[in-house]
Parts: sequence; structure tokens; C-alpha cells
Amino acid sequence: MMPGRAYTVALRGAAHRSVLDGGGLVVAIGFYVVIVGTLSGLWRVAVDANGGDLGGYTAIALTWYVITSEAAIVSVNARHIEEIGTDIALGTVAVELLRPASVLGIRVATEVGRGIPRVAALWGSGALLATVLSGAPPNPATLVLAAPSLVLAITANLLAQHAVAAIAFWIRDAGSVWFLYMKAVFILGGMIIPLELLPDWLEHISMLSPFAAMAYAPARLASGHWEPVLIATQLVWIGGLAVAAHLAFRAGERRLQVVGG
Amino acid sequence: MAIEARGLTKVFETGRRKARHRIEAVRSLDLDVAAGERVAYIGPNGAGKSTSIKILTGILHPTEGRATVLGVTPWEDRRRLARRIGTLFGQRSLLWLELTPRQSYRMLAAIYGLDRPAEQRRIAELGELLDSTDLFDQPVRNLSLGQRMRCELTACLLHEPEILFLDEPTIGLDLIAKQRFRELLVRLNEHQGTTIFLTSHDVADIEHVAKRAIVINHGEVIYDDEVAAMRRTLLGTKIVEVGLLAPIPAPTPLGVTLLEHTDTLMRLVVDTHTTPIRTVLDELLDGPAVADISVVDPPLEQVIAEIYELPAR
Amino acid sequence: MRALRATARNAFAEAAAKPAALAMQMTVMMINDFAWVIFWVLFFDRVGTLGGWDRDSIIVLQAVLTTAGGLSLGLLANGRRIGVMAVGGDLDAVLALPVPPLPFVLLRRIEPVNLGDLAFGVTLFLVACHPTPVGTVTFVLVSLASTTLLTAFLVLTGALAFFIGRSESGELGFHSMLLLGAYPVDLFAGAIRVMLFTVIPAAMIAAVPAGLVGEFDAGRALALAIAAAVFTVAATVTFTLGLRRYTSGSVWTRA
Repeated sequence: MMPGRAYTVALRGAAHRSVLDGGGLVVAIGFYVVIVGTLSGLWRVAVDANGGDLGGYTAIALTWYVITSEAAIVSVNARHIEEIGTDIALGTVAVELLRPASVLGIRVATEVGRGIPRVAALWGSGALLATVLSGAPPNPATLVLAAPSLVLAITANLLAQHAVAAIAFWIRDAGSVWFLYMKAVFILGGMIIPLELLPDWLEHISMLSPFAAMAYAPARLASGHWEPVLIATQLVWIGGLAVAAHLAFRAGERRLQVVGG
Repeated sequence: MAIEARGLTKVFETGRRKARHRIEAVRSLDLDVAAGERVAYIGPNGAGKSTSIKILTGILHPTEGRATVLGVTPWEDRRRLARRIGTLFGQRSLLWLELTPRQSYRMLAAIYGLDRPAEQRRIAELGELLDSTDLFDQPVRNLSLGQRMRCELTACLLHEPEILFLDEPTIGLDLIAKQRFRELLVRLNEHQGTTIFLTSHDVADIEHVAKRAIVINHGEVIYDDEVAAMRRTLLGTKIVEVGLLAPIPAPTPLGVTLLEHTDTLMRLVVDTHTTPIRTVLDELLDGPAVADISVVDPPLEQVIAEIYELPAR
Repeated sequence: MRALRATARNAFAEAAAKPAALAMQMTVMMINDFAWVIFWVLFFDRVGTLGGWDRDSIIVLQAVLTTAGGLSLGLLANGRRIGVMAVGGDLDAVLALPVPPLPFVLLRRIEPVNLGDLAFGVTLFLVACHPTPVGTVTFVLVSLASTTLLTAFLVLTGALAFFIGRSESGELGFHSMLLLGAYPVDLFAGAIRVMLFTVIPAAMIAAVPAGLVGEFDAGRALALAIAAAVFTVAATVTFTLGLRRYTSGSVWTRA
């Protein structure tokens, strides 16, 4: 099987399984709704107390921001780093390395496949919630950009997680690393605070980091700002992260051979 | 009676809505065990052994029926009964992994209300009886499975229980370790009069530990007799499988039943009370035609099937 | 009771058995908690006061939340796992012993990672909350009340697994409590507000206790105590009744 086809097969298979896992999806949606309801409520109160505008965002805009940024993150299984780390430690990866297609490619394709139905279900629920709580999206046209941006966001996130998880080739306890990763995404990725609301110096750092591609980009679009350059930025980051992950795994493979799996 | 059960039934409900179905793990079970007995409670996987023992130790509530252990209804008076019985479940540990057995024993002594001198005395006694004193001060995770099981056994005997319930205690142990463990149980019973109630799906546990065997299948008792009697009827059979390089005729001695006979394979059942296995092997190996030969005990499912001519699982 | 003390002692010994791993896990958790404090500081820097809450009072809230969370999830670590244990048959070892099952299960395990929360919460209070003697005593008392309430809530939602056969209720209960607990409760209104004070008492585990540290209010203190008591009773009853339906993992293994 040509590697390219292997990836699409992996992706479609994972998407299919994800759709079938009704119970898991319901739990994720429940969890998501609670987070989004409270967080967006917080921001709406904050905007109202500040005369209806906070950093250029209205209450409605912030609501749509939050449902999108949270959908991008909750849909990705964030315990991935720990799982990848465990697989590496247990040698499961060593077996996978024997297969012809790129291990990394298959894994990422599988996880993106799993994530797409989830992000669709979550964002759909979120959109419903936002309309009820706050109103229609401020600029519906941007949603056309926001949708693919969400897919790019979860791809970037997964690639980064793999790059980081490759650390497990060297240290055994990759589990602790995922905490720190998640916190970086929360703040630098604009998941819980839109980047425009951060102090200037932090805003600059975040905009330049790959984390912005994982939550801020689709959220900014969905909150009514027509900024296609964000999609371009995401593509660039995906390229860079793919290379980084590839190199990290290659280096790790070499180490496996030296140390023994 | 140390253990008495009448009509014990346990039904599990599983599945959801349309797929909902009931599993009768234990069906109308009757049991009588006197103090000081050594009983092996045998059955294939899924027969209901673990469920029965968990009801008798008060962990599970039965759906129907009644039982008393040492005069107490287990699921109603669980804690009072727990002071007088010991339990060793092969897959559930009493010991703390990162700590030494002695540290676990300290905690168990507090739980059972043993004062320090009694605790020390008991640990020393058991250490000698079970030949495990040198294991007590190493972290449990450093011990082999066989060593761990000896320490687990010590743990469940600290409070001098009158009955010892064991659920698949030898799972995962190698042959030598299993043998030692069985010897320890016998010694325990003979020196201290502890009633032993052991579940297993290993026929060798019947042979080496039990004086009485109760066979359970599909939640019901289907055989209950002295092991000596069982030995006479069942445990003497062996299955011999022979791989052949050239066709040979079947062996002729009495007590040999042919199961399968082709040019390359022969399977026999040998009743070793009628004909010693050696005679059969001598006859088969007399000549160059045998490529491979194996002698095995018949699988338990088959033994049970034979007992009652039920279709094997 | 001697038995429970001995159990707790062993749980401590086991957690401390690998000191390097313990220190690392605690540090990671403290960094994690610190990130949330940063969020709140950034938020209030941008937004000013909100519903009577400002940067200082939100820090007290975080201190109470992490302290109570650390005590509950760290020292009574099995509280969160009741559902999983019920469905998975992990209660056998407890039921085989002559001990009251619920206290024993709770004390039996210490989770090193969450001890980091406890360390963080106490440190945060001492460093950033201008502790006075009265304030400190209040902090300790309300944290204990909050711990009781949180643990009881986790046990209650986890024990539902005995009846529905799935352990998700425990996990959902855990996540929603901790998430909602982190918010200044006055922000919410109407039905949600009522819910956060009663059925899912997230407001009671951090916002209300934190408020008491700042300014004591007898009514709220009483409400907190009552909530803790009510949930403790409910949790104990549900757990005890649930044990009758315990399947020891048999249904799963048979499937």
C-alpha cells in the first residue's frame, strides 16, 4: 500500500470509530458545555462591566470565541503525550517502526481522523449554545473560514504533542510533561483568554508561538474577524511542526536502536 | 458445620435495554463443609466458583438463598465474620507494593486488634511454618510471584482464622512454587486445624491438597465426593498424542481407547489403573515410526463432561 | 481508631517510598496551579473588579480551592475512584477485612501529584493573602469543611456507579466540581446560581469559604457546615446501599 493511501485509510477508519463511540462523544459534549457555559458567562459579565467592549470584542464575539477555542482543544485527546510516552516506554512504537508507512504519519492521521467528528460535534453544540446564550454569530461569513481552521488547529496540536512526546524516548516519565504542555496551550494558545486581552509583551510572544495556531486562530475567525492570514499561519506552523516531530522521532528511533527497545 | 449453604443463587444483570440479559452465576447451590476439612472447589472458567466464594465471604449479596459460615450469615455480618476467616484471592493483593510485608502486617495487626507481642509472635510462627521469614523485610515489588504468595498467605493468617478461603491462589506460579504452596496449605490444616476451602481450575490442586472435591459447572454442584473416590474413577486417565513418521497399528493393551488414528497421528486415552502408561509407551516407541509423543492429563472440561456425559464446552 | 491510623500511616509510607518521583510530581502540579493563578491575575488586570471580586480575593479563592483539592484528592485519593472501583471489582480487598469500608477505602491511597496542590494552596495563602491570625484559623477551618464537602460529593457521584453500572458519573462529578469551583460564584445568576449552591455545590467549595476568610458571615458559615454534613450523610448512605449491589467486576469479566 502506498504510504499516502495508508494515511487516508487510517484517518477515515479513526473518524468512523469516533462517530460510533456515541457514549464517549456524549460525555465530551457534556463536559464541553459546562466549560463553555461558565467561561463564556465569565467573559460576558466582564464585557458588560466594561461598557460592552473589551479589547475590541463584544459579548457576542467573546462567546463565539470561547466556544471555538474550547472545541479546538477539548476535541483533542490531551492525554496523548502520556499515551505516546507509555507506548514508547513499552516498546509498542518499536513494533510500529517496522511498518512501511511513517509511524508518525499514521499516528497523526489516525488522531486527526478521531478528532474531526469530535470537533464537529462539539463546535455544533457550542454554536447552538452560543446562539441561545448570546445571539447569532457576529459575522457568519467568517464561519466558513473557521471550520477548516479548526481542522488545521487540531492537526497542529497533535503534531506538537508528538514532537513533545518524543521526549519519552529519552526520559521515562512523559506524563508530567503534558500538564505543562496543556498550560502553555491554555494561555499562549489563547484558549481561555483572547490574545488581544493579554498584556502587550505576552501578546507578542503568544502570536509568534505555535500555540496560537491551536486555538486562537479558529476562535479569532469565528468571533467575527475576517483574517485569512491566520489560516496561512496555521499551514506554516503545521509544516514546521511536522518537520520537528519527524526529526524528533527519527532521533528517537536511532536511540532505540542504540539502547534497545 | 463450618460452612452451610442452601439454595444460594446469584443473578447478574448486564447489557442495556434490548441487549439486557441475566447471567445466573450461581444457581441454587447447596453446600456443607465441616470444620477441619480440606475442600477443593473445582470448575472451569465461568463456572461460578469466584462468585460462590465471594458470597460466602460476605463480599457479594446473593439474589436468593441462605448460608451460614461459622454460624454467621456472611453478607449481613461481614465484619464480624471477617475476624474469624482468612481470604486469599489470587488476583487481589493484601500487601502494599512499595512497602515490606512486615509493614503491611503491622497495619493488618492493627485492623485485627492484635497487640504488638501477639503480632510479633504470630509473624515469627508463620515465618517458620511457611519458610518465609527472610522475605518479610524486602519491598513486595522486589519479590517473585511465588515469594509474594507466601507473604500473602502469611498476611491472611495473622489473626488465626478458623477457615481459609482461597480463590485461584496458584495462578501464575511455576510448577515448583505451586507444589510448595500446596504443601504449605496441607501443613497449615494438619498443624492448626484450619479449614481450607480452595477454588481452582487446576486438577492438580485436587490431587495434592484436597481430601474432598466439589465440582461446579454452570453455577451448580455436579460432583461432591472424597478425592479418593474421584481418583479411582477419573484421575487415572491420560491422553497420549503420537506424531508418526509411518503408519503403525494401534496398541493393544486393555484400558486403551483409540480417539483418532491416521497415518501421521494417533490419539489415545489410557486408563492408567488398568494399564500403566509405561506399558503403552513401550509398545509405541518400540520401532522408528514415532516422531513426537506427548502425555497429558485430560482437560478439566473433559473430565467434567465425562462425569455426567454433558456436552463439553 | 487504631486500624485507620495504621492504614493512613502505610499510605504515607507508600507515597514517600519514591521521594524523587514524589517531588517531581508535586512540582509539576504546583506549576500547573500557578498557571491558573496567572490567568486570574491577567484577567482581573484587564477587567478590574467584577461582581465584588478582584485580584486579591480571587487569589484567596484559588488558595482555598487548591488546599481543599489537595487534601481531598491527595490524602483521600480514592474518593475520586469510587465509581471505577465499584465497577471494576476493586473493593474486594477492603470487604475482606473487618473494617468500615468507606473510611478505609478513602485513607488507603495517597496521590502524590495532588499533594502538590496542597503545598501550593498553603504557600499561596501564606505568601499572597496577607494572613492574620484570625484569618489563618478561618482558612484552616473552611478548608477542612470544603475538603469534607468535596470528598463527600465525589463519593456520592462515584457511588452512583453501583446503581447504573458505569463509572462515568464519578469522573463527570469530579471535573464539573473542580471546574466550576474555581469561579467567583457571584458572577452567576438565576437557576445556575441555585444549582451551584445546592446540587453541584461548587460555590461552596471555594467561593464561599474564601469569602469567609475575607469577611466572616455567620449565615454563610452555617450554610457551608450544613452542606458538608448533608453531603456526607448522602454519600455514606449511597455507598452503603450500593455495596449491596456490588458485583465485584464479575459482569465485566464474564462479558
